[in-house]
Amino acid sequence: MAAGQRGYEACTGCSLCLLACPVWRATRDIRLTPHGRARALQCGATADELAASIDACTLCGACEPACPQDIGLVAMITGLRAELARHAPARVASVRDRMNDRMAARFAGSAAEIRLLPDRALAADPVLLGRVARLFGGDGKVSVAADDGSDIALALEAGAEISEARLERFLVPLRGARRLIVGDGMLVRALRGWLPAVRIESLGVAATCTAAVRDRLRASDLYVIEPRAYHADQERLVKYYDALRLALGCSMNLDLQRLAIPTTAGCLPAALGRSSVDVRDQARWILEGREFARIVVEDLNDIAAYTAVTDKPVVHLAQLI
Amino acid sequence: MDIPVIEPGVIPPDHVAPDALQGIRRQQTNPKRWDGAGWTEFAEVLRSAGIEVVEQPSLRGTFATDAGGTAYGMPHGVVIARSAVQVADLLRAAQAHRVPVTARGGGLTTEGESVAFGGVLLDMTGMSRVLAIDREGLTVRTEAGIFWHSLAEVLRRQNLDYLSAPLNLTSSVGGTLGVGGIDVNSARLGCSADQAISLQVVTPTGEIVECSDTQNPELFQRVILGYGQFGVITEATLKVRPYTPLRLHYFYYTSLRTAIEDLQLLDRNDASDYSGILTMMDKVVNLLVAFDSDAREAAFMTAWRARLRGHGEAAVALRMAAYYALHPWRLGEALFLYERRRKLFPEFRRAEYTRGGVMFDRTVVFSRAVWKFWGGRQMVIPDLAASEEKFVEAVLRGNAVCRKYFRHYTLYCVGIKLREDHRAHYELSCVPPDARERAYGCEFEPMIGDQVIARDRLQSFKNEIYDIGVELGTSYYRFGGMMKGYVRRVFGDALVDKHLAHKRRADPAMILNRDVIF
Ligand SMILES: Cc1cc2nc3c(=O)[nH]c(=O)nc-3n(C[C@H](O)[C@H](O)[C@H](O)COP(=O)(O)OP(=O)(O)OC[C@H]3O[C@@H](n4cnc5c(N)ncnc54)[C@H](O)[C@@H]3O)c2cc1C
Repeated sequence: MAAGQRGYEACTGCSLCLLACPVWRATRDIRLTPHGRARALQCGATADELAASIDACTLCGACEPACPQDIGLVAMITGLRAELARHAPARVASVRDRMNDRMAARFAGSAAEIRLLPDRALAADPVLLGRVARLFGGDGKVSVAADDGSDIALALEAGAEISEARLERFLVPLRGARRLIVGDGMLVRALRGWLPAVRIESLGVAATCTAAVRDRLRASDLYVIEPRAYHADQERLVKYYDALRLALGCSMNLDLQRLAIPTTAGCLPAALGRSSVDVRDQARWILEGREFARIVVEDLNDIAAYTAVTDKPVVHLAQLI
Repeated sequence: MDIPVIEPGVIPPDHVAPDALQGIRRQQTNPKRWDGAGWTEFAEVLRSAGIEVVEQPSLRGTFATDAGGTAYGMPHGVVIARSAVQVADLLRAAQAHRVPVTARGGGLTTEGESVAFGGVLLDMTGMSRVLAIDREGLTVRTEAGIFWHSLAEVLRRQNLDYLSAPLNLTSSVGGTLGVGGIDVNSARLGCSADQAISLQVVTPTGEIVECSDTQNPELFQRVILGYGQFGVITEATLKVRPYTPLRLHYFYYTSLRTAIEDLQLLDRNDASDYSGILTMMDKVVNLLVAFDSDAREAAFMTAWRARLRGHGEAAVALRMAAYYALHPWRLGEALFLYERRRKLFPEFRRAEYTRGGVMFDRTVVFSRAVWKFWGGRQMVIPDLAASEEKFVEAVLRGNAVCRKYFRHYTLYCVGIKLREDHRAHYELSCVPPDARERAYGCEFEPMIGDQVIARDRLQSFKNEIYDIGVELGTSYYRFGGMMKGYVRRVFGDALVDKHLAHKRRADPAMILNRDVIF
């Protein structure tokens, strides 16, 4: 849990977390929400009793900035998932196997100032990844981390243990960086804790700071913020994106509380085919009543979600340049 | 005070010293719990009808208290509302088995009205979808468990807004229509309950009935402002309006009386679209005045601005500095005010919500501040609702009670426009019988923060506020739970018995939301 954050004991049951929760929106079942979990824990529920609720969370993180009591709701879920995994190691067996593979295979060092840590989807698309790298100065200035840490991101999400050795291998090449641009929202949050001395930015923020991307964004765009990185630093980023919105005149996937509405594509429950949130329904809700000519996404996972529900073009930030 | 010596391990018949609450009528904090007779068979009947009943203790515990955090009760089971038909099935079975059912929306009551002391807790938030928006007719049809804020999210996509709703984001439409619903535009637009055009109601005996001013008007009268006694509201058609951001002005006073007089002056003359008073104790009294359009703002500036006796922030800061320089023993209070100002004011001016004196999404701004700065495990918000004439005295007396009990507190005052054609709705409600065009409400809210205060002390505080109401002949926003004792004292036996007779006819087994009023 980050400094200053409180535990479930502090929940007063105000329900503000529900307003931004995609699981609540889809199910209207308070048991599956941060409020439901915190109150149940206050009443003595165990992680095992809450397993369905714990598994349902998409970890978009919107509840955390919404919580007036500053409860560490993301850490609450990852902690509870870790507890479930300790009780039933089989839950995370496949995640563990992947990690062991990667430990041996991945390591690369670089002297470049900027390290780019793509998320899994971006790492799998070398053309797009090349464009992103060029956006930040190309070879010499930016180096793409060979170890994208996607197994670590997955382990964080699933509550699987990350061995110290694996973590160390992942972090060593990143420590030398002055600036680290991170594609995976789950890792943005964690890396800030692991590497406090490094300037860590989400891919979305870093890209929209460049003239190349800003020049190509249009007032008629619907700009889709990646929720995890945004909510991990919402107090600061709400101002950043608000200024961007004003400067460009585009609309964004923000609700009235200025929280980013997620499609939830790419989250663990969706990847496992067990999500209670219908990704298309979320995408439709994000688009409802909004006028736009094109959708620009920060997260590659969102492209499929939007193309399934609109005929308008849907592009990744890097495809703008 | 003579406190009896108690041997360790022995609980005396009355564990509070006999003279601990002298002169204060003891009110029952938690009603007697229903004994659970026949619960198992009843739950089985529900299950066989396809209704899920949650019985796991920790999950039932989610609903063990309300926002007040002083009344605690466990339901035997929780049912998440899914449709009017399901609610009807539940209520029919509950009548037959005489099992109490407590409806709950946001659970933002503070006297335990939405807490189930046994029986079924019916979680209405399970029914919270917007069903249809009529952009031309400016109405919305919605399931009634929806939070006002979720409704606002949907309406805003059509550039529409609701008229008025509580400033807290998570009260539900159904829960609010039953108790009132006051906003900073209520002096002009009335309370939320008066926005309802028609309702779908499941009666306590399980009929699904549509009601409005013209269709089943008697049921409509009973259900609106009826504290959930006469049916579960499952759907509502509400008036809506085009969305507008606010042009906002604050005026600061050091006198409560002057601020209230100015508030009432503005309301009487329809000089603003929004008006309300929010205070830090009685030291900094803030009159909020706001407008939906530049034209309304300009008219105010020309005709009314100069007549207000409030000052700007800097002038009040200077006055306060002078006051505390002459009263150095009150340094603690001065520091509190300074700290509060330092943290609270920026919340109201966040750049993402306010630009060039115009505020977007005021409910979000105000409601988030309410939860952040006033929210806590215990929230005690007694109130008085008075006619225009009696309001100043009610507030000044209530303020004296706050001062006596708490170092830090807030008062929140607003006007509530009344509808002459809805007089029948107001009987036995928060609207005082002698109020004519407009009533006024004041909430007295101690800032408790993370402290935990003995319930008896909080109860004593509330009783002293409510006693003012009895003496002045005002009403209250919050009847129910512990307030049962006051209903007869305020409204008299004849009116209460009339409504009790209605209730007995409508709900023969007295199962729905019992212990709230009767
Ligand atoms: C921090 C805070 C701020 C507040 N600010 C304001 C404010 O600005 N203005 C204001 O007016 N009030 C305010 N209130 C009071 C609160 O908003 C009202 O009590 C509220 O409108 C109740 O709505 P709810 O959905 O929470 O109802 P609940 O508390 O869940 O229920 C209220 C009553 O209605 C019954 N009920 C609930 N749903 C239904 C239904 N569908 N059909 C029939 N009966 C039902 C319940 O049994 C209960 O008796 C505030 C309260 C808090 C804690």
